[in-house]
Amino acid sequence: MMVIFFYCIISFLTDLSYDFLKRRISNFYIYSTFTIVEYTLFALFLYLCFKEKAFKFILLLCSLVFFGLAFYNLFNKGGGKEAAGFDSLSASLEALFIIIYSILFLYEQIKDPTVFYVYYSKNFWIILAFFIYFSSTLFLFIYAATFTKQEHKIYWGINFISNILKNIFFSISFAMKKTQKAQYPIESLYPDT
Amino acid sequence: MILLQVTNPGSNVSLVLYFGTIGMLALTIGLIVFIIFHQRKVIRYQLRLQRMEHDQQKLLLNASIRLQEEERQRIAADLHDDAGPLLATARLYLNENLVNLDKTTQLQSIYNAKQIIDDTIQLIRNISHSLMPPTLKNFGLESAVNDLFQKISGSGSMNASSRFHDYRERLQAENELIIFRVIQELVNNILKHSNASFIHLTQNTSGSKFFIRLHHDGRGITQNDFIKLNKSNVGLGLKNIQSRLKVLHGKIFFEKDMSQTYYKVTIELVKEEEEEKLQEQE
Repeated sequence: MMVIFFYCIISFLTDLSYDFLKRRISNFYIYSTFTIVEYTLFALFLYLCFKEKAFKFILLLCSLVFFGLAFYNLFNKGGGKEAAGFDSLSASLEALFIIIYSILFLYEQIKDPTVFYVYYSKNFWIILAFFIYFSSTLFLFIYAATFTKQEHKIYWGINFISNILKNIFFSISFAMKKTQKAQYPIESLYPDT
Repeated sequence: MILLQVTNPGSNVSLVLYFGTIGMLALTIGLIVFIIFHQRKVIRYQLRLQRMEHDQQKLLLNASIRLQEEERQRIAADLHDDAGPLLATARLYLNENLVNLDKTTQLQSIYNAKQIIDDTIQLIRNISHSLMPPTLKNFGLESAVNDLFQKISGSGSMNASSRFHDYRERLQAENELIIFRVIQELVNNILKHSNASFIHLTQNTSGSKFFIRLHHDGRGITQNDFIKLNKSNVGLGLKNIQSRLKVLHGKIFFEKDMSQTYYKVTIELVKEEEEEKLQEQE
């Protein structure tokens, strides 16, 4: 949970200092760097959540691909697309990978017999936030590099709405009690067992 | 404004973007709803299973309590109906007036009282033996089963034989008693209901398992019948077998022989070392 809390702080600080940074650095670098930091934190959180070694391995492998492409893009100025102001490839790849990890996490939860109601866990709400946010912004990120300024203004609303939803789910997760134990009704049915 | 963008024929990107986003969101929400409902369904199923298991345990417990009560009542009846009158009669022979009687009558009365007391001792011994057979206590399961089967064969109504293939080391006394009681109950059932002409018992071991198998040529039950009887309120003896075997982490299988001529009952038990491990796990 500390990872997500740390992400929230970084996200908040980036939003606050965006206008200040925009005057000194290109939009492309701000978005690219934020994408890398965001992916790193989310991937770390998911890595800690996974119990199956195979899933951890998949995450590590995909992360290698992501970091390779993201850093290449960052140092290569997006292959000449710096002017677009957004690193579409890294952001789309990030969205795609996090969606895959979220599905793997949910699959793991279904398979685990010790997990009773999935929504009793804090992690579920965090993953739900990732899942909803990246599903709704995947197409936006794919096309973002081709937007004109006018289009960017119109469509970026999707990102804002998704971001609000993501933060609501994060808040639900933070507001949940630390050890919200799954209430297995059998215990209340048979108090003597 | 969004609708305007979508309906603008020149804007293919916006169409793909909006439908793509809506499609992805629908898929995501659908997947999450499916997971939640699937999980709830699985949990409900698990709960139903647990409830059934709990009911089954309750049934077994009730059966074992009823059996215990019946056993107590039987002992109480034996003591009250047999030992009580015998001792009362002995007391009559040894009444206060005995000293005033002549010597011959005194001796006769004492002799009669001694006879009655001997009978009472024998009766109490029989009751005690039915609680814990001395052969089982002193010589083990194999001898106790052989003894039981010899008695059955001796009655002439049925041919009973047993063969222990691998019983060099005795089990713990309490485990032997449980197994013996299960065998007794099974044999009792065969005698009462099957109309069989023979019973044959074999004992074997394989790896960490200990097997006892009973064959007979009468009418028997299959595993399905056993499960049905266990769930119903009848079949007290079978429930008792089940609860006794549960203590030993054992299993019982009722089946018909391959030739469809004989009925087979197999008791499968784990060896004591394994059983201790299982108990530790619990």
